[in-house]
Amino acid sequence: MLSRVAESMFWMSRYIERAENTARFLDVNFHLLLDLDKITDVDSRSYWEPLIMVTDDRDRFLSLHNEFTAAAVSDFLVFNRNNPNSIFSCIALARENARSIIETIASEMWEQINRLYHFLNTADHDILQTDPYNFYQVIKNGSHLFQGITDATFSRGVAWDFVQAGRYLERADNTSRLVDVKYHLLANSSTKDEVDPVDNIQWMAVLKSCSALEAFRKVYLSRIEPETVMQYLVLDQYFPRSIYFCVQMLQEALWHISGSRQREFATNADRLVGKLEAELNYTTIEDIYQQGLHSWLEELQKKLARIGDQVYESYFSYHTFSDGEDVALGPQRQTLSPGRVSRAVWSQSDSSQQQQQQ
Amino acid sequence: MLVENSRPHLFDIYNPQTSRFFDEMFATDTTVREHYEILFSRFNELSPAEIEARKQIVNVFFLNQGITFTVYGNNEGVERIFPFDIIPRIVPGREWDIVERGLTQRITALNLFLHDVYHDQKILRDKVVPAELVLGSKHFRREFVGVNPPLNVYIHITGTDIIRDKEGNYLVLEDNLRCPSGVSYMLQNRQAMKRAFPALFSHYRVRPIEDYPQELVRVLQQIAPAHNENPSITLLTPGIYNSAYFEHSFLARQMGIDLVEGRDLIVNDNRVYTRTTRGLKRVDVIYRRVDDDFLDPLVFRSDSRLGIPGLINAYRAGNVALANAIGTGVADDKVIYSFVPKIIKYYLDEDPILPNVPTYLASDPHDLSYILDNLDKLVVKAANESGGYGMLVGPHSTQAQRDDFAAKLREDPRNYIAQPTIALSRHPAFANDNSFTGCHIDLRPYVLYGESVKIVPGGLTRVALTPGSLVVNSSQGGGSKDTWVLYS
Repeated sequence: MLSRVAESMFWMSRYIERAENTARFLDVNFHLLLDLDKITDVDSRSYWEPLIMVTDDRDRFLSLHNEFTAAAVSDFLVFNRNNPNSIFSCIALARENARSIIETIASEMWEQINRLYHFLNTADHDILQTDPYNFYQVIKNGSHLFQGITDATFSRGVAWDFVQAGRYLERADNTSRLVDVKYHLLANSSTKDEVDPVDNIQWMAVLKSCSALEAFRKVYLSRIEPETVMQYLVLDQYFPRSIYFCVQMLQEALWHISGSRQREFATNADRLVGKLEAELNYTTIEDIYQQGLHSWLEELQKKLARIGDQVYESYFSYHTFSDGEDVALGPQRQTLSPGRVSRAVWSQSDSSQQQQQQ
Repeated sequence: MLVENSRPHLFDIYNPQTSRFFDEMFATDTTVREHYEILFSRFNELSPAEIEARKQIVNVFFLNQGITFTVYGNNEGVERIFPFDIIPRIVPGREWDIVERGLTQRITALNLFLHDVYHDQKILRDKVVPAELVLGSKHFRREFVGVNPPLNVYIHITGTDIIRDKEGNYLVLEDNLRCPSGVSYMLQNRQAMKRAFPALFSHYRVRPIEDYPQELVRVLQQIAPAHNENPSITLLTPGIYNSAYFEHSFLARQMGIDLVEGRDLIVNDNRVYTRTTRGLKRVDVIYRRVDDDFLDPLVFRSDSRLGIPGLINAYRAGNVALANAIGTGVADDKVIYSFVPKIIKYYLDEDPILPNVPTYLASDPHDLSYILDNLDKLVVKAANESGGYGMLVGPHSTQAQRDDFAAKLREDPRNYIAQPTIALSRHPAFANDNSFTGCHIDLRPYVLYGESVKIVPGGLTRVALTPGSLVVNSSQGGGSKDTWVLYS
């Protein structure tokens, strides 16, 4: 398939997943504050700030707002058009990508993204205060519906594998960020010996934001402890939002694309994902604590970013006969940092030339 | 009439003004044309609210499918639905037969003309068309003299604009031989009408248009270079910001071919390739929706970021086919347009079946003084503009606008033509005030030309929804209707 089309598949999928995860963080935070009866701004600040930390947008946020109030944070993460990671921006970017491959994806997929976009574009911003529950539900369901439609209508060819690769790479990254921030916040506040009921609620919230609470209980019953939660969200083999699960699925998709098999690899991306999969497979939660959870997760995020980088090198960067001007025509990408990777679709100077018609 | 139905009918207050206009639906102010009778009684039963409800069904269908276009100049990137008028236009079979024969004749002659001006130039030497008009046209591509396109066909896809005058005669207004757009609306409007009025649709014997994409892909296969039995065909789009982008993606999907942008293609050793996740793949035919000027920065505009360096040489070498061919714009120049009746006579020795609108050339001193004296009655058009830009509608203009055009005409007469203001035929449209209003319409049928000429029975009927307006272009407040060509 066309390199450009493959790249748009990959990013369309990533942006939808990113929007869904942001909606999850916000939804759970809102509920958490209700449970804790800390809904007033003064009390809740320390609960809203971590959401900005999750998305690595602290500086951008502080350039727009002074304080981490519920209203400022949720508006920044949902509707702000200058925040490239806001739900609106993600859905708009997913739609831009989908638009550029509209003839490749099933029309039902396009209609779903388009519907979600128009919903956000016309939504009243006050809804975040008046009816947050339903609002986040619409976003989550919108993403699920998209995935379901994709699952039910889209041929299982290479394009499908790029959609899967994008989704699981993004989800692994998002889960790692969520775990990182919450752990940071919670582990400091409690001592090991006693289980604070407030902490209990918080850990439940972390699980809920990954839709993991019920599945977790089936495995661990009522023992909600930091270690078991970490074990579950990072290393569980079967839970679809755990990091290990996502890496397995990412590996499957990438190997499918290249035709790689166990003990063989065709591209550098295959090699790196195989290495990461093996590492996670043989890692225990004790190993992670030994290194320090935060530094382990940061390293993981870098590894995921490198895999994304290699996917780009192997499939999206444009093949060319000579190392001439062609390279400059590739899409613009931000350089990799521990921050989030995004993709710009078109520059405005290109768009003016595209406007001609008979 | 049923007595118990006392509610006012929608057509009660419709005024066709048949003394001033040709109304498609009404023969006189009180009699409905035979082929509209069923439609008339069906719509007359509906209340404004019922029609509005059906309009909403259609609008949601269009919006969710992303069937939108972008307006230039206004807010950058604002998307709008192409306004769809819910009441269809009906063309009886016997009228369509004339249109079909007339278009076939016209396209055949124009193609012979293109072949001639890019080869022996007999028509210029015989002084039927002034040589300086052709050779001086900005769309004449000197580089293509002597190049033989596959099957000797230049204009594979044409969207001819046809209007009807006060007597109901079908006249050709513009030829659009470069990259005509709008065919996706023709196809989508049909889908929308079938959804909104299934029963009404089945009452009429409407000729199908749904095979257009198959016919188009067949033409593209026919023009493929001989080296490959299974030619690889792509559609080249300027990109997602082009106002016809939806159409490009729609057609690519319907034909099952790749939609590519310039950056997806690369030329090596005069062969064209697409860049894929598995390396480079040869391309044989390109249905290009990019104008000549932007196709190849090495030959045409060097600042083009939409084109493919080296494409033109690959084309000249016969390694890739382009539809339409390069340089077809020379025949749809509005000045050349005025010579088309002579062109038909010259190549086919036939009289035109579809007449032209009378046209005055500003380059002719006689015509120029007539134009300047009658600016308030004429429509003045720039020779090479499209989309309704660069045009003066005399009766609707201000003195300042007329003065402005008079200066332009004197300065660059070659670039302007003028035509009498034709009272375009009107058709009831469901307007914003919840009633039927007579609005001016035109018709753009789509003509395909590979091994033979093929016209899908139908077209895009554009409607000037602004009351009184004669400009039907989507960029100027126009909308469209479904067009039902009947078997009989």
